[in-house]
Amino acid sequence: MGWIEKKLRKVFDAPRKHFESGGRLEKLSPLFEAIEDVFFFPAGATKSSPMVRDSLDLKRFMSFVLVALIPPLLFGIFNTGYQSRLAADMSTALLPAFATGLTIVLPIIVVSYTVGLFWELLFAAIRKHPISEGFLVTGLLFPLTLPPTIPLWQVAAGITFGVVIGKEVFGGTGRNLFNPALTARAFVFFAYPAQMSGNSVWVAVQQKAAGSVDAVTGATPLAVTELQAPFNSIAEMLTDQGYTFSTLFFGNYPGSIGGTSAFCCTIGALLLILLGIASYRTVLGTIIGLLATGFLLNWLATPQSPPWFSVSPFYHLAAGGFAFGAAYMATDPVTAPGTDSAKWIYGFFIGALTVLIRVVNPAFPEGVMLAILFMNMFSPLLEYTEIRLRFKKRIPHV
Amino acid sequence: MRRANAQIACGLAFAGNPQHRVQPAAKPKTVAAMPERIPLLKARLLVENGDHVKIGTPLYEDKENTDIVFASPGAGKIKKIVYGPRRVIREIVIQLDDEETAETFTPYPPKELLRLSPGALKEILLKGGVWPVIRDIVYRKVADPAQTPAAVWMATDNQDPFHPPAETWLSSPEDRRFFQTGRQALEILCSRVFFCRCTDFPPLDPEIEKIVTHRISGGYPREDPAVIHYHSKTGPDQNLAWFVSGQDVRLLGEFLESGRFPVRRTVAVSGIPVEGRYVQTRIGTPLDTLAEPGKANGHRWVVGGLFRGYSSVPESHLSLYETALGLIEESGRRELLGFMRPGYNKPTCSRTFLSVFNPSPLPVDADMHGSKRACVNCGNCTRACPVQILPQFTYKCILAGEIEEALSHGMLDCVECGLCSYVCPSKIELCRTFQETKQAYFRQRI
Repeated sequence: MGWIEKKLRKVFDAPRKHFESGGRLEKLSPLFEAIEDVFFFPAGATKSSPMVRDSLDLKRFMSFVLVALIPPLLFGIFNTGYQSRLAADMSTALLPAFATGLTIVLPIIVVSYTVGLFWELLFAAIRKHPISEGFLVTGLLFPLTLPPTIPLWQVAAGITFGVVIGKEVFGGTGRNLFNPALTARAFVFFAYPAQMSGNSVWVAVQQKAAGSVDAVTGATPLAVTELQAPFNSIAEMLTDQGYTFSTLFFGNYPGSIGGTSAFCCTIGALLLILLGIASYRTVLGTIIGLLATGFLLNWLATPQSPPWFSVSPFYHLAAGGFAFGAAYMATDPVTAPGTDSAKWIYGFFIGALTVLIRVVNPAFPEGVMLAILFMNMFSPLLEYTEIRLRFKKRIPHV
Repeated sequence: MRRANAQIACGLAFAGNPQHRVQPAAKPKTVAAMPERIPLLKARLLVENGDHVKIGTPLYEDKENTDIVFASPGAGKIKKIVYGPRRVIREIVIQLDDEETAETFTPYPPKELLRLSPGALKEILLKGGVWPVIRDIVYRKVADPAQTPAAVWMATDNQDPFHPPAETWLSSPEDRRFFQTGRQALEILCSRVFFCRCTDFPPLDPEIEKIVTHRISGGYPREDPAVIHYHSKTGPDQNLAWFVSGQDVRLLGEFLESGRFPVRRTVAVSGIPVEGRYVQTRIGTPLDTLAEPGKANGHRWVVGGLFRGYSSVPESHLSLYETALGLIEESGRRELLGFMRPGYNKPTCSRTFLSVFNPSPLPVDADMHGSKRACVNCGNCTRACPVQILPQFTYKCILAGEIEEALSHGMLDCVECGLCSYVCPSKIELCRTFQETKQAYFRQRI
């Protein structure tokens, strides 16, 4: 290890003078620092009390979100390849499917990171602040919410909107009002509905010989509603389409890259909660809100009401991007409220709104993205209310 | 009393805890008074370079209340007066005589003490220069003698790593008598004198244990008088309170019984490079008499606990209130791939390192462990705060200039324990911001 460290040290020390103030590449110093900090942990002495500081820093904090994203990412890559090969009538064995998935998913992630990093660096250079680690999370979250058939230029346009309008115009990570990854997705969703509406399945089919990518159409589980289902028969209809509960839960169906498997998202959410990165309050809140609203709609369901009124709320839990949103998007500490009770309410309404948008609004088969963005907007209000209530318990000083 | 419930139970087991043995230190050549280290004090010198002073001679006074004077911790010639930025008086160094003389005041044994009125006692304490050991609980400055506090707290235990436990300075019958006299004096000043002890600490002499009024459990800073006062006060009329640390209660008692300014201090010397121990020395002793300066190269000298203390240098002296010296590593070494190490021996309050499974005391250093970032609203500071402030929001109020809002968040309840700054993953100086804002608020208020 010793000599690796020395060699690496040299790699960074040699070009350092160009990045220092007055150097040729002075503007790129945030990039240089960011890369150096990854390899060599920054060591700055404490200047004021307390003289000791916790070993946890934001880089590690954010890195654990990336670690928690590994299960849905790996499954997403496999599933993309699997669905693609299935549609193209090829062998769906694990390794070939994974390889095919990789060729589809990797370019999306690379484009998302590269374009995102460009904007991040541009703002860091102009504003003279270091590159924030939050970007690493956004750059991976965004591709995982996209369909595998997305054109790469739309990925670039989306992440640009997410980073610039969703985050940097507010001042960067920590100051943004909306989750940047979801802002990016919302942009793509509304700007290019043909590719993103979620009404038809997204299978990136790889032709056997040519290797070109094409799409096949069909209905996503949440769009089965358009098939004019008779009363109380959604579950059977879903099963007829091949969407049994366990398929929905394990995620082996066509959908957005990382969002199909509620199972993988549960693993990620448990890891985040266990490590104390995500708040269990938000996650439980979303589940309670979703189930409560689901059962309420069941109770209100009549033969005249839209067919999704009568579906079991547990289908809502497993279907679509709800699990992904609840595990990784709703728990983003920046855009979620910072106080405990407000987190419950915030989570509850995300769950409730998800069901309402899915069931009542015929224009949107999927609702979790809009629900989270909507509650992002309300989280300062929730915080404010809780802080007011807490004041009342305090003994005032003046 | 209400239960103090900070949610982060920081496993603050730091390595370098002193061994339990008390050693007397050799007589130092110099001692010093350090006006800079008295919070919110504007000092005016009462002596000059070359003057000869006795133990207990007033060295400097509070410009805003000239009744408050500070006694000399040694007898000898004023060797030098060190100024800091903006002419703040940093140190008044006294070259000690071989045979020290002391100012004498009328002694008050317990019987005569009880006949004193509060006003007369205040006068005696102020004249003798021992009044400054009584401190205000909100601003942690010297108590204002004109005010009437709702309570006076005595605290013998300090869990800020590492302070001498009570049995190291309260062992002899004489010590205990002085302590009791000190307590009686405080009872004359205020009818509500409380004495809190940690349940995790070994019990003291039964006579001392009898006067304990509050028992608390849990780690730092649950034992701090300001924290206990926050959780036991019942109305705004009780905001004003005073506190006296345990060794200072004993000091008050010894002053009243002997009529001389007592200078004894038991100091904990801790850290991995030094042999951790408790040293019986005196107020204002040079730090290099407590630890070998040569051995401690590349180490930070922290006077006071690791959380509340301040950095110093071996040539400096021990200030009036401090009873601890900690040496922690300050290497400045940039660790290869530091942020992704499993961290089996990295101290943390979070659950993101393997050290959550490591029960042994962990080595600490004077490193930020990361660089400054914007607040991401993670809420670690809220969970760590012992007095239920929401530091991340209060901090933003202060930065936005909304002082009224910060006050209603409970900024004046802040006990300056430093846990919020400690746990912050964005390395924001929350505690320093609160401290500075409280002090600015105090200065503007009068």
